[in-house]
Amino acid sequence: MKYSLFRVRNLSLFSIPAILTATLLSGFPASAFSQENQQRLDQLEARLNSLQKQVTESSLEKAKFNGFFSTGYVRATNDAGYDDSSEESDLQTLSLFGLQGTFALGRNTDAVLQLVSRGSEDWDTELEWGYVRHQFHTGTEVRAGKMRLPLFMESETLEIGFGQPWARPPEAVYDPIPVRSYLGADVSHTFNLDSSSIGTRLFAGHLDDEADSLGQTVDVELRNLIGLTTNWTNYLWTFRGVYARTEAFVGDPAGPVNLGQDEKAEFMGLGMSYDDGAWLLMSELTRVKVDGVFQNTDSAYITFGRRIVEVMPYVTASWIESKDNFKREGTALSVLDVRRQAYSLGFRWDLVPSVAMKFDWTHARGFSNTTGGLIGNQLGGNFESTDVYTVRLDAAF
Amino acid sequence: MRKTRMALLLLIGALSFGSIAHAELVIIVHPGGPDTITKQQVRNIYLNRSSQMPDGQQAVPFELPAGNSIRDKFNEMITERSDAWMQSFWSRQVLTGKGQPPTEMSSASGMKSVVSSTLGAIGYLDSTLVDDSVKVAHYPEGDLIGGH
Repeated sequence: MKYSLFRVRNLSLFSIPAILTATLLSGFPASAFSQENQQRLDQLEARLNSLQKQVTESSLEKAKFNGFFSTGYVRATNDAGYDDSSEESDLQTLSLFGLQGTFALGRNTDAVLQLVSRGSEDWDTELEWGYVRHQFHTGTEVRAGKMRLPLFMESETLEIGFGQPWARPPEAVYDPIPVRSYLGADVSHTFNLDSSSIGTRLFAGHLDDEADSLGQTVDVELRNLIGLTTNWTNYLWTFRGVYARTEAFVGDPAGPVNLGQDEKAEFMGLGMSYDDGAWLLMSELTRVKVDGVFQNTDSAYITFGRRIVEVMPYVTASWIESKDNFKREGTALSVLDVRRQAYSLGFRWDLVPSVAMKFDWTHARGFSNTTGGLIGNQLGGNFESTDVYTVRLDAAF
Repeated sequence: MRKTRMALLLLIGALSFGSIAHAELVIIVHPGGPDTITKQQVRNIYLNRSSQMPDGQQAVPFELPAGNSIRDKFNEMITERSDAWMQSFWSRQVLTGKGQPPTEMSSASGMKSVVSSTLGAIGYLDSTLVDDSVKVAHYPEGDLIGGH
């Protein structure tokens, strides 16, 4: 009540010049004017009430929903199979729909659910994330549940095309790990320095999922998964390091594809980015080391972008190489040997707020004597290079 | 009589035109908020790098709708980021659970009333629309008008 009285007084003050002007100009009878003014006051007050209601509601909001959507057109010059592309136009691979709900359980505790339906998986809806999070006042956060495996700089936005500059994350770095989310817990802490911050996260858990390998769907299980990420940022430059280890089970000893059971696996990554609003630089360097026949790979990419109002042209160069070809020499699994370079030229165009389009041309080559890690070659093809054209539409809401 | 009215109209026209020409961006806070705030502190709040006002209060930022000329000026002078960049930035923050964007008010009058009535509120306005219901804590274009 006190509030509304205060506001009415203010509004009247604000209206005095209007009253004077109106009176001077028109010489309207005072009664007609005050009626008009009363009407205006009523309108303003109604508006104010609705505004206040809006603000009160948003601060007490129990649940928040956000989502993301992507669709795209992909076509390649041959059937080498870079990012599942082929000579036939395809709309399924890049199409996905995600819905995320954040539910407040307490002042500093919430539950986050993310459901994703992918065109490449017949639009089956999958629980991608489902975790409970608690934030302590000290800057420490703990989470437990199903979460994204934080191996890459863009792991968290892996499927959120709108949050990324590219038409697709560089395959060389983002593809060797064919799984996305694990079940477990993590604890993270952010140290705020003068004009920079350091964030660190320790995570542990278990992962049981399926992935495509050599044209088959294989089981992937990662037991005793544990890892640590650290990053430093001054909000212009970001540097990141990650280390993770696990015992990997890939494929089935009795099935068509067996890439190792209970093999020690390690992941190491370094990342850096620069973003001043106009220039963008991103680079990641990763190493996958797995005992047994599963390929050990080193890979890297570098992206340069330049924002010009709503358009950001970019170039990316990436490279991947397997380091343990001798382990598969002379066996059928030597098709897993990989050596490949890829060059992308494209641009992101922010059409309207929350909707972006991307146009990309990627050229992959330099397979040497390997299959280039491409399914078309692994299944018997003989492609020496491939060009992939992509038009993609991303939205976030 | 007619002539006088005409002259008055012209005068009012000239005055309002003058005030549009001198539309100046000011950073406003709740009347109980801090007396001053630096550009860097405002920038940190609007780029999700800090959630605190200089007086320790939890910051509650508000913004004007996209396409508003004062918002454009704010982005140019304070955040130094384009609207497209901000959209992508906030969708990443929201979808990775790092924060929520400033609440968008549909009009300058809405901005003023919400800042005047919300503890820890911070917003921006055209200086000609400022009154005693809010406190001006920063003049990005220099304290030319003073006295507010």
